[in-house]
Parts: sequence; structure tokens; C-alpha cells
Amino acid sequence: MARAIWKGQLELGRQKLAVKLYSAVEDRTIHFHLLHAKDLAPVEQHIVRKDNREEVKREDIRKAIALSRQTAVILQPDDLAKLVPAESRDIEITRFVSPAVLGDQWFERPYYVGPDGDASSYFALAAALERKQVIGIARWVMRKKRYVGALSSVDGFLTMTTLRRADQVLSFSGVKPSKAIVPAASELKLAQQLVSSIEADFDPSLWQNEYRARLCKLIEAKARGEKIKSVRPRKKAAPASLADSLRASIAAVKEKKVA
Amino acid sequence: MPSRKRREQADAPAEEAAGARVRPLWSGTITFGLVSIPVDLVTAVRPRQTALKLVDKSGHALGREYHCSKEDKKLDQDELVRGYENDAGKMVVITDEEFESVAPEMSGDIELRNFVPLEQIPPIYFQRPYFLAPAGKTAKAYYLLTATMEKTGRVGIGSFVMRDHEYLVAIIADHGVLRADTLRYADEIRTPETLGLGKRGKVAASKVKQFAKAIDDLTRTQLDLAELEDQDAQALKKLADTKQKDDEDVVHPRGLEDEDAEAGNAQIIDLMEVLRKSLSKSAVVTTAGSGAPISLAEKRKEKKSGAKRQRAS
Repeated sequence: MARAIWKGQLELGRQKLAVKLYSAVEDRTIHFHLLHAKDLAPVEQHIVRKDNREEVKREDIRKAIALSRQTAVILQPDDLAKLVPAESRDIEITRFVSPAVLGDQWFERPYYVGPDGDASSYFALAAALERKQVIGIARWVMRKKRYVGALSSVDGFLTMTTLRRADQVLSFSGVKPSKAIVPAASELKLAQQLVSSIEADFDPSLWQNEYRARLCKLIEAKARGEKIKSVRPRKKAAPASLADSLRASIAAVKEKKVA
Repeated sequence: MPSRKRREQADAPAEEAAGARVRPLWSGTITFGLVSIPVDLVTAVRPRQTALKLVDKSGHALGREYHCSKEDKKLDQDELVRGYENDAGKMVVITDEEFESVAPEMSGDIELRNFVPLEQIPPIYFQRPYFLAPAGKTAKAYYLLTATMEKTGRVGIGSFVMRDHEYLVAIIADHGVLRADTLRYADEIRTPETLGLGKRGKVAASKVKQFAKAIDDLTRTQLDLAELEDQDAQALKKLADTKQKDDEDVVHPRGLEDEDAEAGNAQIIDLMEVLRKSLSKSAVVTTAGSGAPISLAEKRKEKKSGAKRQRAS
């Protein structure tokens, strides 16, 4: 059972609720060490001056903020201390909005919110959020850092997904296609037929990380001293016209369904 | 740990990063049925303005070097390998060729196997958004897929391998442009059960009502983007401005560039140029924050000053 990473208090106006935060993500990445090829000794990272490659001692390293390509301001340790936000356990909910106003590009990292004591109030809040079909915009300070997040109810439990900042999220506008690329009505119809022939519900259990599994096998085989055969990529067929490809694709899907 | 390719890219000379067409993070083909659409994948997230640079006490720009822990000598990229330490404590070396041979058929294609309603994907699954730029001779098939997904309200699901990692991905039509949002795999997501968050017992109707009232009081129709601004970046900027005005700790280091951030910004500007050429002359990209279009001029200026290997376009 994974442990809570932080304790805090949700604040919705005058209503307060003590909660615990848990990472909702399990790291399954296969981690590698960086080694020197010749002797397989692990590498060490050294900090050096870019101009003369001389090593710099840890206590002589400073952080700086660049104001332009040529100008920077050094931040001394007391400057950095000043920038640390005031400690607090409060998770302030500033507003509730429809989930539709928040595009998925905002979502950064998900956490589960669990009860810290008062379980019945916890499940009551989750039920109220579900009934109202809204998400809460939250801000808080955790481990000396500021966060913004979206509080939502998922299957009767609360989740908090941290959000990216407003100047990180990009969107396009004014994309009106030029005449040369507007598809013919017939092409659009075929494409829609093709899409609907492979329509489905989102089911994440159907997808496995195949690369990760094969990499694990490769590591195991190599550890046993087996020889590894390299695989050549497939060759691709020559592209046909767009409409022909669409028709052939629909036919192929139909055939699959019959068989 | 970053893969080898990534590090090589970050170490590329600065003038190359700024001047030439920027290398996309991944190039390949989206396929649905027998239709294939060549695309370049670029970042859709701007770096935060809170990245600090390392300098020494007198303001010289600092960088990182890898050294061998046995020999204490500086190592070049081609002297490094990746090793996995297994449970028995044995170090297993995997060469770059072996990484590439793991799933060669998955590194060039994103095969869309399902089309699902976007709202069915829970927020918890979304990892990172990227934009896809049309890379073929014509953007016709690219636009056809965009228009079809916009009409049907569905997004394509597939998977692909980039930099020695496989990603589950949702291909989404967003205002006429294709986005590829990487998703977490189901086995990377914890559940309330495994975390022991307890069982939902009987919930007192009066408590639900209290919370519902509090929610109503705070419910608005729109986001307030001011609430989503980067307060850390603002505080940092203010402090830097004050120190500059007082002429305190102002230095002029050489080689300050943040290659990753600059490559990211250049990718976005490149994407806009590609879209204007192949898709729509009026395409504009903006940040959610300012709402002001990102200027093409900043890239052009850089091109003039430092183009070395500029490709004819």
C-alpha cells in the first residue's frame, strides 16, 4: 500500500475537509545507469565552466536568472529563500467550473485525494461533486512549491490533477484550410465510414506497453548470456490515392468483422 | 535518464539549434486503415519561465560533463553505454542498436486502432500534449483526418515508440490542427483500492447538501486565467528586475542558452510556418495566458544572425 505524500485541508468557502494526497501514478519505467563503455564504471556528473572546462566546487555554484542572452542576475542563497512561498496546509478551491472548460493539455500529474479522519464527509464531498458535474480549481503550497490543480470526483473518490500554467498551454486559431487540401464530400464520407467502422469505447485495459515487456525480456536474455538477434523493420507498400486507400480500408475492416 | 539521442541533440551547437529548421522530436506516419499521413511531432507545452541557469560566483556559465568514476577522465557521448542492474546485482549492458531492435515496427508508425469519444478518457490518463505537423508533399490526408474527427467528435487511439519508450497516444483534432496527447498505460495508474482509501459507506444526505451548497456558491461559467498564471515566474521576474535596477549581482556570462527550451520554442514557430505553407495562411498560435499570438519575428531574427545549415524550403 503506497503511503500518502502530503496532508492538507480542502477549503470550499467555509466548508473544510482534512485530506491526504497520494500519487496516482506508479512508475514502471525501466531505469538504466549510465556507464563508461570501456570499463563499465558508472559515470559521475561534474559541473564545469563552459569557457575553460575547469571544474567548479559545489559551494561556488550559484543559480542565475537570464534576462537576455548576454545578461543574467545571480540569485544568492538569501534571494532564493525569499522566493519560497509561505508554508500552509490549505488547499484553496477558488471556483468550480464545468469540466468542459479545461482542455486536457492543462493536465500534468494526477493524485488521489483520500480522507484524513472524517471519511463520511470525504465521501459526501465526492458525491456532491458528482451530482453537480463540476471540477474545482485549487491552489496550494506543497513542499515549498506552489501548485494549481483540478479537483474532481472519479467513481466516488476524489482526485487532484495538477495543472500547467497559463503561459505553457498553446492553442491554434484561424486554421481555415486552403482550397487545394479541402477534401471532396465523397472522401469525407468514406473517411467517416472508416472511423465509424473502428469506433469503440475507451478501454485502457486493451493496451499493454509492448516495448517495455520486450525490453525486459531482452535484458533477461542478455543476463543469461544469450545472443540477441536484431530485427529488420518491415518495408512499406507504395501509397495509393486517398479515396482508393479509404475504400480498401473499409473493405478490409468489413472482412475482418465477418471472419 | 535521457536517451542517448536526446542528449546528442541537446549538445548540438547553439547556432544550429537557432538557425536551421529545428529537428522534430519524432517523425513518422499516422495510419488509419490503409491511409497514411506523414507527420512531425513537436512539443505543445511551453517551458515555464522559472528555469534557472548555473553560474559560478563571478557569473561564468556552467555546464555538465560526464566523468568515469574509475579513471576520472571526461567522457564523450560515444564512450557511454546504458546498463541495467538486475536483482542479482549483475550489470546488463544494452547497446543503442539493441534498444532500436526491440520494436522496430513501432518506431515509425502510429496506427490508429480505435476511435473513441474524447470525454471517455479520464484526466488521470493524460501525460503530455504534442502537436503534429503535416510532413508530406500535401496536407490533404492530414486535413481529412482532422475534419473527420472534428465531425464525429472522436479521437484516434494508438501507440508508438519514441526515444526508447513506448507511448499510448490519443490523436485529437484541435481547431484544425492534430495533437498527439500521450496517455499513461493502465498499469501505471493506481486505484483507490490499492491505496486503501477506504470503502464508501453510507453518506449522510445532509452533508452532501452542505457541500453542494458550498459548490453552488463557488460555481462560475468560466475559468479565471489569472488563477492559473505562473506566480513563481512572476515573483522571480520581480526579484530579478529589482536586482538589475540596483545593479546587484548583474553578470554577462557567455553560453547561457538553454538548448532544450530554445529548441522547444523554435519547434512551435517552425510548426506555425509549416501550417501556414501547407494548411492555412491564417493559422495563429497563442498561449492560454496572454492570448497574444506567438510572433514569427523572433525566429527570423535568430535565423539571420546564426543560420549555418539552413535547409532550402
